[in-house]
Amino acid sequence: MKFTDKKTIQIDREPSDLDNFALDFIKILRKHTNYVIVSGYVSILLGRSRASEDIDVVVPKIDFRKFQAMYKDIKKKNFICLNVEDDKSVFSYLEDGVAVRFANKGNVIPNIEFKFAKNKFENIALDESITVKLSEEELKISPLELQIAFKQEVLKSPKDLEDAHHLEKIAESYLDNKMIKKYREMLREFYN
Amino acid sequence: MSFTIENQKERMRFVDKWAEYVKTHSDKDWSRQQNIIINSALKSASMTKEQFFKMKGEKHFKI
Repeated sequence: MKFTDKKTIQIDREPSDLDNFALDFIKILRKHTNYVIVSGYVSILLGRSRASEDIDVVVPKIDFRKFQAMYKDIKKKNFICLNVEDDKSVFSYLEDGVAVRFANKGNVIPNIEFKFAKNKFENIALDESITVKLSEEELKISPLELQIAFKQEVLKSPKDLEDAHHLEKIAESYLDNKMIKKYREMLREFYN
Repeated sequence: MSFTIENQKERMRFVDKWAEYVKTHSDKDWSRQQNIIINSALKSASMTKEQFFKMKGEKHFKI
């Protein structure tokens, strides 16, 4: 794993079934909109020794016409929405701030938890995303400082604290500790 | 010290050791080992949609 610069990480990893699932979905998504992967899968992609049943993806809010084209493409590639089927209902959930889940037809796990950005932290994750370059593909993930801060300050479960600790360890020479502190303060203020 | 706290400390020590392994070994090496956990967990995951949403505590879905 190589931290090439502040915005790029190169990983020559053997792809897992979860990586291939993420890459299949993101290949469709990026044709239609910007996106960022957040939460547990970020740690897993960067080596954390655990599995996950879902991958959290945040996209900027898009209009119905754009969503419709994207959803059509998603369905064409054998993904289904687990929550509801018709495009208007899926879009309505998203507009109401509800995350929806996409899985391969016939499966429930793994799935993509998909939502529109609805607060400043999700917008920061989108605007300041970093690129993980895999051998032939790439994925955009949230800044690690924000991930660590969110897991330590908001989520706080043992699993999340372990994810944060893993990121701190593998990226210790790369991380901006002042930014982690700043994000933690911002999150504390926002969620309390 | 309670079992839960001791267990959490032990888990954190493992996270430390594994992160050190990731840093000091090739990506191919650690990812092959990591994939055994990920791929087998996904293969053995068998849940209905209703069970999954219940586990997640989510209510916004139609059967």
